[in-house]
Amino acid sequence: MLTIQDIAGVWDKHLMTMRTIEHLQMFSVALLLSIIIGVTVGVFIYMKPKTANPVLNFLNIVETIPDLALIVLLLPILKLGAGPTIAACVLYSILPIARNTYTGLRGVDEQYTCVARAIGLSRSEALFKVRIPLSLPLIAGGIRIALVFCMGVVTLGGLVAAGGLGTVLQNGIQLYDKEAIIVAGLWTGLLAVLLDGFAGIIEKKLHERYGTW
Amino acid sequence: MVVIETVLDATWEHIILVYTTLFVSIVVSIPLAFASLYSKKLEFVVMKFANMVQAVPSFAVVAIMVPFLGIGFTPAVVAIMLRALLPIIKNTYIGLSNVDPALIDYAEGIGLSQWQINRHIRLPNAYPAMFAGIKFAGILANSIAVLTAFIGSGGLGEIIFQGLIGYNTRTLLAGAIPAIMLAILIDLSFTMLEKKVTPGYMKK
Amino acid sequence: MQTERLFDRIDSIQFKGVTKKYGSGFAVKDLDLEIEGGELLILIGPSGSGKTTTLRIMNRMIEQDFGSVTINGIDTREVDPVRLRRNMGYVIQNIGLFPHMTIGENIGLVPKLEGWDKKKTEGRVRELLDFVSLPPDMFMNRYPRQLSGGQQQRVGLARAMAMDPPLFLMDEPFGALDPILRKQLQKEFLKIKNEINRTIVFVTHDIEEALILGDRIAIMDQAKLVQMGPPEELIFNPANDLVADIVDTKRKFKHMDTLNVKDLMSPFEQKYVFEGKMNACDAVEEMANRDIETAFVFDGDELLGQVTMMDLMKCRMKSQNLADVARPVRTFQPLDSVAVALSELKKNGEYLAIVMNSKHPIGILISDEVLLKLI
Repeated sequence: MLTIQDIAGVWDKHLMTMRTIEHLQMFSVALLLSIIIGVTVGVFIYMKPKTANPVLNFLNIVETIPDLALIVLLLPILKLGAGPTIAACVLYSILPIARNTYTGLRGVDEQYTCVARAIGLSRSEALFKVRIPLSLPLIAGGIRIALVFCMGVVTLGGLVAAGGLGTVLQNGIQLYDKEAIIVAGLWTGLLAVLLDGFAGIIEKKLHERYGTW
Repeated sequence: MVVIETVLDATWEHIILVYTTLFVSIVVSIPLAFASLYSKKLEFVVMKFANMVQAVPSFAVVAIMVPFLGIGFTPAVVAIMLRALLPIIKNTYIGLSNVDPALIDYAEGIGLSQWQINRHIRLPNAYPAMFAGIKFAGILANSIAVLTAFIGSGGLGEIIFQGLIGYNTRTLLAGAIPAIMLAILIDLSFTMLEKKVTPGYMKK
Repeated sequence: MQTERLFDRIDSIQFKGVTKKYGSGFAVKDLDLEIEGGELLILIGPSGSGKTTTLRIMNRMIEQDFGSVTINGIDTREVDPVRLRRNMGYVIQNIGLFPHMTIGENIGLVPKLEGWDKKKTEGRVRELLDFVSLPPDMFMNRYPRQLSGGQQQRVGLARAMAMDPPLFLMDEPFGALDPILRKQLQKEFLKIKNEINRTIVFVTHDIEEALILGDRIAIMDQAKLVQMGPPEELIFNPANDLVADIVDTKRKFKHMDTLNVKDLMSPFEQKYVFEGKMNACDAVEEMANRDIETAFVFDGDELLGQVTMMDLMKCRMKSQNLADVARPVRTFQPLDSVAVALSELKKNGEYLAIVMNSKHPIGILISDEVLLKLI
């Protein structure tokens, strides 16, 4: 059984405070980029409906690529470090965010879009004042899926010298350091579950505030 | 430089690993999904646990196997299974429980046994959702199987890790590209299978 | 952005040969119509007759295939649709208040987009809420889903009035409300209409509403205008069977003196019943929940009187209960003569009464409705 002292020892030995910060930094950058790009893609395919199917189909294929293989594909282009990991996160996360944004924008109840037109909102005003706010619960759902993806991919970054908690897991396995694996594994898992739970709360709040379905 | 033969062997190992896990996952999931129909408590536990595991990064799940099960094929199968269970259980359960209650009433009325109701009414209704879940689990398994090479499962991941050690781009691609092709193949074949098992009246 | 005013008042709106195809048929066919400035024109007809299409062609939510619509001589197709619509108020049946905005934000949306500052917008919102009898302090910061149907419809009206447009387009605005509430809102709307003195085009399928509100009524059928004129003309001189059927001329031969109260009353519903000991503030919430604006106060079996939501909102003294504020309500027996009942109501300036069968309420007598049932 692990004692508090054991955990503290492992924590210090593997620089886990620093690794956690690296982990969360990579994660935040990746998620932020994913949200910006994902929502933009979602709005774009909503504005140009003809592009929706090809874009979503392409992103669906990207989605099936094994995460480690995707990072490896990006390695020659982006070199070792955090680059390929963050890029892979973003590539995975565009689909859920873009798809949910697209579905949300299209699914806004016709009575609201009709009224928006009738009281004289221009297309962009209707988009920003009515459609996007009413789609927020769905968009948040997409972001929550992306969050889970990103946590997973960022952890893999340890294998390609990107740093983060994956590095501790990698060292632990290579050195067969059971305590390090357990501490880092549980901590990584806990972190992900907590963030996911937190995102779930925000999602629920948005549903209460904006949800019409 | 990697030899073609090595790649073929690794691909075969990869396929064995993925399909063994998928098979075990299906065998475990479907009875659990059926049992969840009859016990609210079990349903609650299964769904909560499965949802939580889903959020845990795969690398953490794979790593945690080592202290308990060591390295090799078995810990890899268990690790992948833990992640592959949720989509199958969840989708099967949704498919099974989403049957018009009036239909079940009627079936009971004309004297069908519980077993017959499950076999002839609930199960066919659950096929599309179930197969969507299995397809998703297959892609997930293929993806994690690359990673489990790190704990000695063999497969295409092993070539990737060799490439990483010497940072040899060709070796990296020799592992990554077949893995990607396998993923697309799984996606396509299961999509076709899904279409086949979907009862005609449910097709769009 | 500031939209220039297209017109300060409407002199006339003219439809010339307006046609809108719909698949292989017509939604509107070769329509000529002139709307006079300041009138309330009703468009009425069976569903699919083209009345809503006609309305929506005016603000270019639907574009006609042939013909022209001119407002004060300006062809609507030469005006940017956004600008055109900001010069018109629009109210629809399902109201469509944006659920993510407060009442204040809903009403103030277009003023804000027009670049009004915060203070001016808020002032306007307060003024409008007062105008539609919703105390601003109580409603500004609520969300639409916290309001009853009647309150939402008032907000919808306030939103349409935000830019003080010279023209209102209304598409069955009271269609989804319960009969008593509808009567009440129609009454209020008539008052508002006389106060603001604007041109209004009003779509409905309810002939009673048309007869109460309309200066002129245009009857449409199968994409065409069948007859247009003031209510009397349609009643006494219907152009064809359809018009006669719609205004139901046969009914005017009914003899009022042979009818009893029970023949013309509306059924009483449990939702109108409130206990006398209920707190007045709680009652406001409860009435909103039940989507009614008039309630009858009982103490056990005994009828104490009536309260309206507006009275209750005015007297917001916490300690009062319904028994204290209820105003007396007239009661009739089922077999009383309608003629007597009506003249009594009219004499006292009231418009509704309860019909009691010994001790139990069985119906509500609403004067307007009775009159219309007789026409």
